[in-house]
Amino acid sequence: MLLHALLGGVIYGCYFTLIGLGLNLVFGVMRIVNLAHGDVLMLGAFAAFFLFHLAGLSPFIAAPLVMVGFFLLGLPFYYLVVPRLALAKDAEMLSLILFFGVQQIIEALAAIAFGSSERSIPGRVLGIGPFHFLGQNLSRAWVIGAAIAAGAVIALYLYLYHTRSGLLTRAVMASREEALASGIAIHRISARAFAIGLALAGLAGVFAPFMLGSVTPAMGVSVNLSAFAVIIVGSLGNPLGTVAGGLIYGIGLLLMQTYFSAWADLLPNLLLIGVLLVRPTGLLGRRVRLA
Amino acid sequence: MPRVLRDFLSVGLPVVAIFALLPLVYANQLLLFNFVLFLILAQGLNAIYGFTGYLPFGYVGFFGAGAYGFALAVMHLAAPPALALLLAGLAAVLLGMILTPLLRLSGAYFAIANLAAAQAVYQVIANPALQDITKGPYGVSLASVFAPKASYGAALLILAGVLALVAWLRHGRFGLALQAGRDDPVSAAMAGIPVVSARIIAWLISALIAGLAGGVFAWHISVFYPETAFDLSTSIFAIVFTLFGGAATLSGPIAGVILLYGLYNVIGISVPQYFQLIYGALIVGLVLFLPRGLASLLQRRGIDVP
Amino acid sequence: MTAWRKWGRGLAVFAVLVASGLAGGARAENAPAEIKIGHLHAGSGPYASISMPVYDSLKLWVEQQNANGGAFVKAYGKKIPLKLISYDDQSNPGTAATLTNQLITQDKVDLLVCDSGSVLTAVSVPIAREHKMFLFDPTGTGAAFFSKDNPYIALLADPVSTVWPRYLWEFLKSDAAKLGIKRVALLYATNDFTGTQANSIRAALKEPGSPVEIVFDQGVPTSTSNYSVLIDNIAATNPDMVLELGYVGNDIAFLRNLQESGQKFKGVFTLYPGIETNVLRKNVGAQGLAGVFSYVTALGLTLKPEVGMTVEELRAAFEKAYGEGGVEFGWNAIAGHVTGLVIGETLAHADSLSQPDLHRAVFGLSGKLKTLVGTFELRDDGAQIGELTPIGQFDATGKLGVVYPSDLATAKPVLGAP
Repeated sequence: MLLHALLGGVIYGCYFTLIGLGLNLVFGVMRIVNLAHGDVLMLGAFAAFFLFHLAGLSPFIAAPLVMVGFFLLGLPFYYLVVPRLALAKDAEMLSLILFFGVQQIIEALAAIAFGSSERSIPGRVLGIGPFHFLGQNLSRAWVIGAAIAAGAVIALYLYLYHTRSGLLTRAVMASREEALASGIAIHRISARAFAIGLALAGLAGVFAPFMLGSVTPAMGVSVNLSAFAVIIVGSLGNPLGTVAGGLIYGIGLLLMQTYFSAWADLLPNLLLIGVLLVRPTGLLGRRVRLA
Repeated sequence: MPRVLRDFLSVGLPVVAIFALLPLVYANQLLLFNFVLFLILAQGLNAIYGFTGYLPFGYVGFFGAGAYGFALAVMHLAAPPALALLLAGLAAVLLGMILTPLLRLSGAYFAIANLAAAQAVYQVIANPALQDITKGPYGVSLASVFAPKASYGAALLILAGVLALVAWLRHGRFGLALQAGRDDPVSAAMAGIPVVSARIIAWLISALIAGLAGGVFAWHISVFYPETAFDLSTSIFAIVFTLFGGAATLSGPIAGVILLYGLYNVIGISVPQYFQLIYGALIVGLVLFLPRGLASLLQRRGIDVP
Repeated sequence: MTAWRKWGRGLAVFAVLVASGLAGGARAENAPAEIKIGHLHAGSGPYASISMPVYDSLKLWVEQQNANGGAFVKAYGKKIPLKLISYDDQSNPGTAATLTNQLITQDKVDLLVCDSGSVLTAVSVPIAREHKMFLFDPTGTGAAFFSKDNPYIALLADPVSTVWPRYLWEFLKSDAAKLGIKRVALLYATNDFTGTQANSIRAALKEPGSPVEIVFDQGVPTSTSNYSVLIDNIAATNPDMVLELGYVGNDIAFLRNLQESGQKFKGVFTLYPGIETNVLRKNVGAQGLAGVFSYVTALGLTLKPEVGMTVEELRAAFEKAYGEGGVEFGWNAIAGHVTGLVIGETLAHADSLSQPDLHRAVFGLSGKLKTLVGTFELRDDGAQIGELTPIGQFDATGKLGVVYPSDLATAKPVLGAP
């Protein structure tokens, strides 16, 4: 029982890392809280749903299509919205409201276009039968979801630490003002990071029908609440810290389900508050907070 | 005439008087009640965000604590509504005291931690393990004290008190100290202002206001579930209204509520099929084209907004 | 059972009522141009998935009535067109409250129908009562709404939560126990609808002399979307039968995780396969439903209605009207149709459109009105107790057969099915 919960927690946690990854990148680079993150994820899920049911495309083909599509949509959206937002007195707080509005628009359009019933993609698409590991039967879909998440984390790491564009991105994350002063084209770097954030949300969405059972246009809010817990526990603004957050979240949730199931949803919130009070910058946070 | 009194008489009192008279000519009293409720909540949020810069995303936690404080007082103590309202406020202040350490955080950290705290309170209250106390997920019914006219009156009294309080925050010594602490905590502290304790007092005042609002909401609505009392959109609405109107003023949040909540209802009633879509687009437009709020339109021209 | 036997007698009484209704129409000159029905629906948010089918189906019923010149209104002795005013509360209870009041005080509707589900129904109950408006409640089953001193509410389509599981525990204690079910695991989502059912199942199975024992009994938050660890924990207690009670999303996740886990139980019962069969079949697959026990709602029964369409006629009409619009036909769509039928019959029997007369007419239908879901029967506090929910089991082809009670049974329960 304990072993199963721990293993399941690691796998589930990997997927939740993927859910938080894009949100954290966007916050780290732009200091924007993308409240519509969960709804972008929902759009990714519906894209995968329609690609499968109308065009017969498996999620493995849908995933790159969705990522490219969301990346290309993300670039113009950034230029349309974010530079204007930066004019405000308290842009970080105002971004919450702006993206709340965006979230409302996405959910409303999705409800009109897709209807309100639960949708999913059959699990057999990802292979049949459970996956055996350390004497435990694990869901095949979950293992695949976790593997995709791990791949995404590694790819993001390579981008941030082994490309020039990644270096500039990290410079903007460290200090927007100094990056600007040293001649970095902040908006180009930020737009790229924003679009990558959306692409990652879309990727997480493609596998949501397998990980969450089913999807509806209303799912965004609860996804966001989990994603917040993951990125804060890890470290807000440090995309790779998300991994720690995701794993702690996954393992904690499944241990709670095992021993105190009725209180399981309380855990992420307590974890989040607890971590913040002990280490206000998250477990892997380095930057010192300004008083 | 002191400026506190002037602001209250010129802005606060007329608002209360209008909402006291409106039920005579307009029959949808629940809509009016919700207006009053959001006027209270927006000012409560103003007290903490406008004067200290902390944005409590989980403000609804205090509101829900107040609603359940009221319900528990009625169900278990058979308290009369007036006493239950006081206990509702007290419940929220207690929650505020427990959450005081969150003030060590700043910016988005504080906003999200506060949201998590509100969720945690909701999850505890809605848990079936507490069924004997809170009725858990099965909802409460306060039919025995249901009195829509009296609860509307009580909401107006609370609104009057809250408007007076915010007028005082704007011009009183304490409020000025708060604003100094918000704009430059280091200099303020060097000038001898107890920044931290002033912040905590503002936080508790803000919690008290939301708790009273929650209590009077429970009284007015009388049958509700935990989901109703802790509906996240309550927080978001209060924040949107305050920021749109202009925080740290008395009239800004009032204008925000009347315009935006008014538009919200007009859209909902006239084009229900595109309700959410139009309202979402409206908010995006406002943030992009009026990012500093309504009050800034006048302030930029050098006009003092009360 | 008694409800089913009343079937024949009800027919006679019903005919008399219709006849008297036809005779009593002499005030046609004062008739309004239209009858206004006020309604709320959730176009988005967590309750949209249960609310939209009710709304679409009610809208369809109104359109059908109007295509025939309107509904017969006894108070005016003639057919009058219906106008459905339905606002979107976005699953927000506060907005639902204002909009309910808007329908009563501004639109001055003749009949008031609240939104689906208990959370959104709750806010409308005191408002309707305050304005002495009779509230037509399609599916809000919360126990707190119904009290003898409140004559202003009737639950139309869903039976109250305590009625649902009666056949389930009877089945467990009789036929299932004989087949070797001794150990039962109970897993439920902690909300009003499923929590109430779990409580009454638990109480029944713990009565002295019960042949089955509960070996696992846990509630989980309704937001739960992964069950694989829970399934593993349940398997560790070695139960013969697992009862999982949740909302649509919970049941889908549970059945999918069960399939993927490779765990087998002799029997599995979940709520929604028999309630929203289409949604479950599309999300879980016929294979995932094979062998699963569930409630049998009107979807799985072939009842002959005296008023309105049969399930198959309604399904065809619903799918023709809404096609692939993303709102699936299921129990909630039927509930919307039943709401329409009760409104229609109320108008056909009420002496006037005054709210006390509407109340009398609705309660007068109790035990007499037979629709596609069975007999409409109200307890004196307004709770629905007419429909019964037999226990059924899905076969390998995805068909749901009734296995309990025996007088309705069309199949034998099979344990250890794939």
